[in-house]
Amino acid sequence: MNLFLNQILAIVWKDFVTELKTRELFSAMFIFALLVILIFIFSVNLSVVKASEVGPGVLWVAFLFSGTIGLNRSFMLEQENGCLMGLMLVPADRTAIYFGKLISNFIFLSIMELFILPLFMIFFNIDILEHLLPLLIVIFLGTLGFCALGTLLSSLASNLKTREIMLPILLYPLLIPIIIAVVRMTGQILNGEPLSEMMNWIGLTASFDIIYIGVSIMTIDHILEE
Amino acid sequence: MVDHPKPNSSDSAIEVRHLRKEFGVLKAVDGISFELKRGEFLSVFGPNGAGKTTLIKILTGLTRPSSGTARVAGYEVEEGRSEMRREIGVISHSTALYADLTPMENLIFFGKMYGLERPAESALASLEDVGLAPRRHDRVRTFSRGMVQRLSIARAILHDPSILFLDEPFTGLDIHASNVLKEQLQNLHNKKRTILMTTHDVSCGLEMCDKVALQVMGRFAFFTDIKEVNKENFETMYFDAVRDNQFTMGIRA
Repeated sequence: MNLFLNQILAIVWKDFVTELKTRELFSAMFIFALLVILIFIFSVNLSVVKASEVGPGVLWVAFLFSGTIGLNRSFMLEQENGCLMGLMLVPADRTAIYFGKLISNFIFLSIMELFILPLFMIFFNIDILEHLLPLLIVIFLGTLGFCALGTLLSSLASNLKTREIMLPILLYPLLIPIIIAVVRMTGQILNGEPLSEMMNWIGLTASFDIIYIGVSIMTIDHILEE
Repeated sequence: MVDHPKPNSSDSAIEVRHLRKEFGVLKAVDGISFELKRGEFLSVFGPNGAGKTTLIKILTGLTRPSSGTARVAGYEVEEGRSEMRREIGVISHSTALYADLTPMENLIFFGKMYGLERPAESALASLEDVGLAPRRHDRVRTFSRGMVQRLSIARAILHDPSILFLDEPFTGLDIHASNVLKEQLQNLHNKKRTILMTTHDVSCGLEMCDKVALQVMGRFAFFTDIKEVNKENFETMYFDAVRDNQFTMGIRA
């Protein structure tokens, strides 16, 4: 068990050191998310449309699209110089590799989201500070589901020449339940509704998070082996 | 908890029986059988597309055979993969190194993955073995092909494996880098490590090995002791075997 945890931490450490040196992933994700929000700001007349109605969709489009850039980059890094082969040769459980990459992806995306949230608040003129805790819970659940499934699918797509195209094509349809749930919940939170009135949506999102992680644990061995 | 087969007590490092790997109609490995004792050095020659890399991939557990059996370090490759991986090191034309990390960071990472108790100390020792300790804090991206290949050796021997697999390690190296690599392989062989190397470099391959094999179209055209090979005539033998795809010498299958 100790070795399993150490291997997970080693992968997270390696991804962090690489990112600290290159700063490729975070800057790409952040700029992309910011551009998405700016484009919507310029295309939507906020004096006509209520910000709390259009805002949640814009926020999650920014998170998910920029997150896809991160997921694509995640296993591309392992493909360079045959590093994935190097990982396959160590006596590591394949789920340790999966969880290491999942945690890295989750942390990178979460950091980017924390930087984007204040800008979203300023651009859409929405005070999210009073709803911050429920909003962070929803973002946590949505990001976890996105990363859980995205990490699995990016490992699957990493061997394909068309991986940049294949990942979103595979990922978004399977994410629909979570996308619907988190956008609805974000809208309700911005309208001032308490989290206790969204327990069905929270249950749905948490269930899909568990399903995605469970399916990943069951299949990652076969996906990485062949 | 899976009950993995225990290593046998024989002195065989690698035992292969009727190994086959098919990709549709293509037979990349076609009924190969051989045995390599502990401490022996086998050079496998063969033209491009002969299935040498596939053979190494099967023996290192990177791909599954279509049929046949292989035991590496006493473990069935199919069943005891995790245990077997502690016993093997692999060097291929892919370096398996992170270009934006330093040699120390790369080796510490792999040391942690192998569960070494003191990954930093092991990393430094490996780098000293291959003469890269002075460059340990430079990014791998700034290294020449020869230095990267030496670093690959450091990565492969980091966990002190008993068996090394080398897939065309001389590819892309200049004469100086080739000589350095050859010297290091010789050192590893002197330390009684079992080595299986595929190569196109006839002089290097023949100079270092105890056993020699020629793989053509997925099969061993011959597998024999180096003493039975006339080095001057090897190229003629090679071309004859490749052309005829016939068994020209005694096969120890």
